[in-house]
Amino acid sequence: MSAARRRRRWQKDQERRVQVPNQPSRQSVDPPPGLHVLTAPAVLTLILVVLSFLPRIQSNFNLTISIWGAAIVLLTWLILLYLKLRHENASRMFQTMLRPQHYVQALVQLAVFTYWGWHWRPVYEFVTLLAAQLIFAYVFDMLLAWSRRETYTLGFGPFPIIFSINLFLWFRDDWFYLQFLMVGIGFLGKEFVRWNREGRAVHIFNPSAFSLGLFSLVLIATGTTSLTWGQEIASTLTLAPMIYLYLFLLGLVVMYFFSVTLVSGAAAIVLFGLSAFYTSLTGVPYFLDSEIPAAVFLGLHLLVTDPSTSPRSQAGKLVFGGLYGVGVFGLYTLLGAYGAPTFYDKLLAVPLLNLSVRGIDSLIPVIRRSRAIRLWRLDLAPLRLNMIHMAVWIVFFGSMAVMGKADGMHPGDSLPFWEQACIEDRPTACNRLIQLEASYCGDNSAWACNELGGHYRQGDIVGSDADLALGYFSRACELRFQPACVNLLDIESFRQADPRALDLRLLLREGGSNLMEMAEPELYERACLKHDWDFACDKVVSTS
Amino acid sequence: MIRKATVPLAALGLVTAVWVALSNAGSLPQSPLISNDTVNGNPEEVPGFLAEAWQLPDDPLLGFVEIAAGSFLMGSDAVIDPMAFDIERWSSTNAQAVLELPTYYIGRFEVTVAQMRSFVQATGYPIDGQALGGAPGHPATFISWPDALAYSRWLDEILRTSPDTPEVLSTLLEDGGQVTLPTEAEWEKAARGSDGRIYPWGSEPRSDRATYQARGTTAVGSHQCPECPFGLSDMAGNVWEWTRSPYQPYPYDPIDDFEDLENESLWVMRGGSFTDPAHFVRGANRGGADPGARRAFIGFRIAISPS
Repeated sequence: MSAARRRRRWQKDQERRVQVPNQPSRQSVDPPPGLHVLTAPAVLTLILVVLSFLPRIQSNFNLTISIWGAAIVLLTWLILLYLKLRHENASRMFQTMLRPQHYVQALVQLAVFTYWGWHWRPVYEFVTLLAAQLIFAYVFDMLLAWSRRETYTLGFGPFPIIFSINLFLWFRDDWFYLQFLMVGIGFLGKEFVRWNREGRAVHIFNPSAFSLGLFSLVLIATGTTSLTWGQEIASTLTLAPMIYLYLFLLGLVVMYFFSVTLVSGAAAIVLFGLSAFYTSLTGVPYFLDSEIPAAVFLGLHLLVTDPSTSPRSQAGKLVFGGLYGVGVFGLYTLLGAYGAPTFYDKLLAVPLLNLSVRGIDSLIPVIRRSRAIRLWRLDLAPLRLNMIHMAVWIVFFGSMAVMGKADGMHPGDSLPFWEQACIEDRPTACNRLIQLEASYCGDNSAWACNELGGHYRQGDIVGSDADLALGYFSRACELRFQPACVNLLDIESFRQADPRALDLRLLLREGGSNLMEMAEPELYERACLKHDWDFACDKVVSTS
Repeated sequence: MIRKATVPLAALGLVTAVWVALSNAGSLPQSPLISNDTVNGNPEEVPGFLAEAWQLPDDPLLGFVEIAAGSFLMGSDAVIDPMAFDIERWSSTNAQAVLELPTYYIGRFEVTVAQMRSFVQATGYPIDGQALGGAPGHPATFISWPDALAYSRWLDEILRTSPDTPEVLSTLLEDGGQVTLPTEAEWEKAARGSDGRIYPWGSEPRSDRATYQARGTTAVGSHQCPECPFGLSDMAGNVWEWTRSPYQPYPYDPIDDFEDLENESLWVMRGGSFTDPAHFVRGANRGGADPGARRAFIGFRIAISPS
């Protein structure tokens, strides 16, 4: 399609939007069907119950009960609604509306799930539960709409909400009913938490970001983040090779269709800039193992870019994106200082930004009046302007990639780097070392557990805690790391050994690579050349 | 202007309430290991054991038996004991060796399920649920090597600090004794005495003296053993017992126990179990297990060893 034709089509679209703001792109209204439409949620609820008999769901009693509980809630609501409407002699109907911002977004999210799941199988094993949530979401949305008005707008709306929630947070099987609660709250927030914007009553929060933000707060406040797969989700994205490039390419699709380049681009550029500035000051990376963590990179493409809950003007989008970058940057430190998992940074920032949209909208005219901005402003059609923004973003990401700041190895991936930085007393380095060792210990690296136990026994870089030390030594010992067993017997000293091959397979992953099949000589070479492990260099020399 | 701005607050309150309710109900997620939440209740009465004294045996030394200082014969000579395994041979030149040990104390019985419950109740130590599932007077099983050490550390601490600790034990601990697992030498001397006998009661297997080739464990002390050198129970059979010695070839030398840190960990267990044939429950037989192993046939007994 030529640029001129695209522009004409875009202009037509714009005109249509301006003239009939609520007009769907494709729409048909069914004749009033009385209450027959209620058959749809009834059938979907039945399908939800049938799903609960699949082996994946039957494998966990609490999970099965969660699905049945969700079905009972929906069914009760449906029956009450039916009785009420019959009593009032009221009718309800469907209206179909297929919005590109729903189905394009959903397809992009699906592409992320597919690629990520290919490299981290729990995602594929989660498909049944994703389907259950989608069914729940549709029925919930229908019942909510018909409880408040005559027409339910049927489309792909629930898809991006469910996908977006599940790209960032899943509750574990034992607690899965909270996932349904999270979905329900997302829809309730969309329905009830509204304000007037540009003369229209619109929802304030991005529905998925609203429930994600709310639940994140509660999980942090109650110290129950272990009920979710949040940490695993945040850290396993990088198991997929070239994930930054993949997300970047998918992001271009969203940017092209919904003109959100300024939001994502500004967020990424600000975050990258702040991160680089921090590194230049301190000599250590701000984020543990990347300039922009992969999950944040995903968030700034797919979570913060909901056009309905972000500013409409170009300058507003720029400010909005920039604030997201600043927000994530600040929350990362704040959460770390509070001792909370830092992966909530990207989730907590979005509802706050949604709340600031009207403020940004009112600030923009003031900014526009400033002379510098007037000089900088380009009077171009929005589509062409978006293309220019995209070009800038492509150049920026390309530069990031060339500098190895995207999918390349990051200094923060290397444990010896943090050990050295800790010895040199660089800011946060010792905390990061503890954090990294705790993460590897959680992955069953016995060496990391033993090192961690040593820090807590010796109280050198962290407060001394004999019980915690024994806990880490026990774990390492059960993983057959002999120095740790000896450390359990002799509580006066601390014995260490070099990482074993099995440990190296975990310690050298650089965030993602699967090294389980790597030959040992190659493993030691990698440890020596890329991570500066001295003992590994000795082994390389001795074998060559 | 935000319409119905109270909705997010209400939702937050709702979600918090659910969590608080769940937390109070004690139903926060459990790992496969359980904590003391699941073992609350009144102390169990096990005949011959003191519920008020951490379920330790009802005798003046709370079940500890003195093994006087002196020498004993360690290892097996295949000429005398044709069932002996190669790993029991002392060296290429000598089948056995005489070892001198200072005085130490060892538990008359294997540590019981009731004792482990008492420990978990007191400390909240996360333990495999199966370890606490057996009959209270039976040996505790599904215990890893670190679990066994954790129990002995706890007992060491309470015996040191409790005013109810018998004076002899208090003195022992003050003089440098430590509640821990026995070394394999300590274990072997306690089982075989100083005369190098094959089984604790003599040279022939006797099913009325020990639980072996059986369907399950028996309550500790079920078998009387008047012939056993120190009157200890279940030094043959019932459950394998962890020791604090790494599994390495003889000659035995406690000095080198902490030297080999590069190889994967394996710890000695002794005594054989209810699942084993007679020749496995001989006093000199040596088993080795992964320290993380939690099995239905592995338990432990404790000792007070001089440091």
